[in-house]
Amino acid sequence: MNETRPVAASIGVPTPLVDGPDKVSGRARFAADYGFRETLVGRVRRSPAAHARIKRIDTSKAEILAGVRAVVTGADVAASYGVLPIAMNEHALAKERVRYRGEPVAAVAAVDVETAAKALDLIEIEYEALPAYFSAAAARAGDALRLHDDKPGNIERDVHFELGDVAGQLAMADLVREETYRNAEVCQVQSEPHAVFAEYDAERDRLTVRPSTQVPYYVHLMLARTMNMNQSRIRVIKPHIGGGFGCRTETLNTELICGLLARKAGGAVRLVSSREETFVTHRGRPETDTRLRIGMMKDGRITAVECEVVQRGGAYSGYGIVTILYAGSLIYALYDIENVKYDGYRVLTNTPPCGAMRGHGTVNTRFAFESLLDAMAHELGLDPFEVRRKNLIQAPTMTANGLLVNSYGIPQCLDWAEKASGWRERKGRLGPNRGLGMACSHYVSGASRPKHWTGEPHATVNLKVDFDGSVTILTGAAEIGQGSSTVLAQCVAETLDVDFGRIRVIASDSAMTPKDNGSYSSRVTYMVGNAAIEAAQKLRGILTEAAARKLEVRSQDVECLGETYRGGSQDQGLSFEDVVGEALVDSGTITVKGTYSTRPESHGGKKYRGAAIGGTMAFSYAAQVVEVSVDPDTGEITVEKVWVAHDCGKALNPLAVEGQVEGSVWMGLGQAMSEETRYHDGLAITGNMLDYRVPTIVESPPIEVGLIECADPYGPFGAKEAGEGSLSGFLPAMTNAVADAIGVRATELPLTPERLLGLLERTPRGRAAA
Amino acid sequence: MEYLPTLHVHRPATAEEAVAVRANHASARYLAGGTDMVVNIRRGIEQPEHLIDLSDIEELGGIQASANGLRIGAGSTLKDLADDRDIRRVYAAVSEAAESVAGPTHQSYGTVGGNLCLDTRCLYYNQSEWWRDSNDFCLKLKGNVCHVAPGGSFCFAAFSGDLAPALMVCDAEAELLGPDGRRRTPLADLYRDDGMDHLTLKAGELLVAVHLPPPDGDGGSGYAKSRVRSAIDFPLAGVAVRLGLSSGKARTLAVALTAVAPRPHLVEGSEELKGRHVDDAWLDDLRDLVRAQASPMRTTTTKPWYRRRVAGALAAKVARRIAEG
Repeated sequence: MNETRPVAASIGVPTPLVDGPDKVSGRARFAADYGFRETLVGRVRRSPAAHARIKRIDTSKAEILAGVRAVVTGADVAASYGVLPIAMNEHALAKERVRYRGEPVAAVAAVDVETAAKALDLIEIEYEALPAYFSAAAARAGDALRLHDDKPGNIERDVHFELGDVAGQLAMADLVREETYRNAEVCQVQSEPHAVFAEYDAERDRLTVRPSTQVPYYVHLMLARTMNMNQSRIRVIKPHIGGGFGCRTETLNTELICGLLARKAGGAVRLVSSREETFVTHRGRPETDTRLRIGMMKDGRITAVECEVVQRGGAYSGYGIVTILYAGSLIYALYDIENVKYDGYRVLTNTPPCGAMRGHGTVNTRFAFESLLDAMAHELGLDPFEVRRKNLIQAPTMTANGLLVNSYGIPQCLDWAEKASGWRERKGRLGPNRGLGMACSHYVSGASRPKHWTGEPHATVNLKVDFDGSVTILTGAAEIGQGSSTVLAQCVAETLDVDFGRIRVIASDSAMTPKDNGSYSSRVTYMVGNAAIEAAQKLRGILTEAAARKLEVRSQDVECLGETYRGGSQDQGLSFEDVVGEALVDSGTITVKGTYSTRPESHGGKKYRGAAIGGTMAFSYAAQVVEVSVDPDTGEITVEKVWVAHDCGKALNPLAVEGQVEGSVWMGLGQAMSEETRYHDGLAITGNMLDYRVPTIVESPPIEVGLIECADPYGPFGAKEAGEGSLSGFLPAMTNAVADAIGVRATELPLTPERLLGLLERTPRGRAAA
Repeated sequence: MEYLPTLHVHRPATAEEAVAVRANHASARYLAGGTDMVVNIRRGIEQPEHLIDLSDIEELGGIQASANGLRIGAGSTLKDLADDRDIRRVYAAVSEAAESVAGPTHQSYGTVGGNLCLDTRCLYYNQSEWWRDSNDFCLKLKGNVCHVAPGGSFCFAAFSGDLAPALMVCDAEAELLGPDGRRRTPLADLYRDDGMDHLTLKAGELLVAVHLPPPDGDGGSGYAKSRVRSAIDFPLAGVAVRLGLSSGKARTLAVALTAVAPRPHLVEGSEELKGRHVDDAWLDDLRDLVRAQASPMRTTTTKPWYRRRVAGALAAKVARRIAEG
């Protein structure tokens, strides 16, 4: 008799990432690790000018330098590119005009780095300076020159909506307060600088590209477009990726430049950006001014909200339209709010383009909102937790702007954070210069409508089973270090009830794996996870049928006990291999497909232009408490501890979820305390890891994570987003804690020692937090 | 420039040999830990064709105690300093300064000599070649304008080593070897107030060792630095204090600053604080004295007013810590 071996559960089990051993041992190959003896070195010549017309480019001297294999300029670029089909206004190499300092203008491929550097210097470029604008206000001024001819006033997009009766409800409120907040521009600083390896096969006109991207499919599309190549001639393979956090959720110019160089050189080119170039490529979170007004009743109930957001977007569109829409739409779906007026302005400036950084669009608005809520609670003598509890959503519901909320774990998150931090016992009793602050936050589990709407399902997963009894997951989902390959393996193992070790994941190779939109907006676990489950269910059906045939029972009588299939309790059963063998008879190799499409009711609202942005199948929710101590002599803040509850629906891999939540908190800590990109006349002056101050391990506080599992009815095993929702809450929770500690409220981040000391010196000692 | 150009590396066995190699190659630079210089080479700030690796020179190593005090070889690492129990006990400021430099990895490589001879730093100077070229370079290198104080002809790049002020308040002397032989000089005299040329080393001179005299009586010393992050960052302001106490009164006092001028320097006028009780009023006066003599310029992203204020606050903090034992 075959052993009826119960297979260990996969879902809910802390599981080390499947690609971990390769990374820890150094076997994993990143884009910069590819190459062979003939690989050429690619390097980029960048604009020294912030805004200028290109009068002349002469590459002739560079082209004749021994060892140079290709020189490309804007003349080699077939078309513009951009992540949003409605806003493709960027070129891989500038044509006619440069719009920020550091924009690529020309590139070379040469036999070695010295030759490439020499060749860059030999390219002659003449610029004619144009007026440049480094702030949103300067770019919006009436007489400012347009960066792009079709964008009057240098407004990339303005968003306006007013839902409900805002003026009336503000007039009804017991307390109305208004404040203006400013968040500095920040960026991702992922561990791996951008890198690309491209090979061109001139005989067959085929291009293979290995980019350090979160979105191999978008890179594929943009390579075809900008190189004027048929998509079928291009293959994009995603290597191992050293993080992204949103700076790689759109095609980057270096990926296109490397393709152009490889084709022109007729060979293989490796283009590795320096850390400074990675900073200048940017795609971080924009500098944001938020003016917020909230109306509140004496009991803490919010009556209405008015919000104006101005984002300094940088020189090109990128994700800008989506960012300014998110900043408004996700005022909703955290609390029960009806009446909101929003005015958003995305401004084009002569600075590197911003992008979709972790917590896309929501973070700076949430900082303002939770800060003002805390100040008003204080003024009304209400506990910040109670104010949140007065404004809870009753799920399932549809928000006033048409966002679907099916599951809502804020009440549980609040309870956990309040209890774990000892809020009731400790608040106000910590002694001088020490305080507690709290805030809530949320985020989408993937945007319900993809940017490139094609009518295809949102996600497709193929499973392959063959003679060896292994199960291979073929997915386009981009593993970027977040654990997507692991979670898909878990979903399949759990559904099939097979041993985890039987499963292999092949991810993101356009020649082998189904198309996937990529890793952004926390979509992969929810959407690709559901597709993987559907594929595994189909496979299980096939295996059950095969077992029934072999056992000569009806398929509904087949029992699957882990890897043993049997027709009854006295049946000696079939092993997994036996069943696979039977299933292969007549059919040969089995390939099944699972897909996932979002439900129409989740596609967002229609009440204003762009209301679809924010639409998602499920929201994650978080509440956190931050404890700080402050040195009033130096303005230094120490974050002593963080308690964070995150409602992820179901922790499919608790190990990875905890890591994601800690990472979100930590990234929020950087933005709150020390991170800030700065420019000297548009030149990135903090483009290195000394001057751009990512927190070190010394600043990293103990983080206690509470996983709240408020199951989503449509999520894979109930799961929702886990990697972004806890970020935005940290910022206001920390500044609220500082207010509790020393009585000053910060409205400008990062709250560096310099800013805090400035605030303290402007505030009379002993003044209570207002 | 992010890649290393081709370099000839020399590895002499003695300090004399090193000085001789240097004399033969005008563009040669001494290399110890390399934690700062290699970064500058990659950025195209330094372009030496020859490097003289000092790691084989026995004389540069070791920390030796004698009746005359302590001799610290210039090749001792910052970690050697931080780990040395005698230094921690007797010259606490030096230990504290050593363990506040950058991060643990840098401390394992970086040396006393390297930290004392650190190039001055400025936001407009410690950038890539492309960056500096795009910004028309600057007074300190290849250009003729100062972006910190446009119109001026003085370079304000700040000396940002942590060890110098700590050693200075302990009355350290530098032992130097050059083509003309050996000499000793008070450490404070190793520096001049010029961001472009802040070391008084003569051509080809090598810093061989630092000598600390035996401590005199009770009291103690300490070092504190301001920075945005508690590791990695260079000081925005660094303050070393040595305070000798006699029944609650300041008997001896020395204060030195770093990162607030092109050179580290001793605070003048501390005489007036001697003989007084070290109380809150005394600490306020010390703070004001330090603030008045800290003159940082716009060489970091943190504004000068903060660096000046925090320098005073740190001096008072360190002095209070010493006084409270």
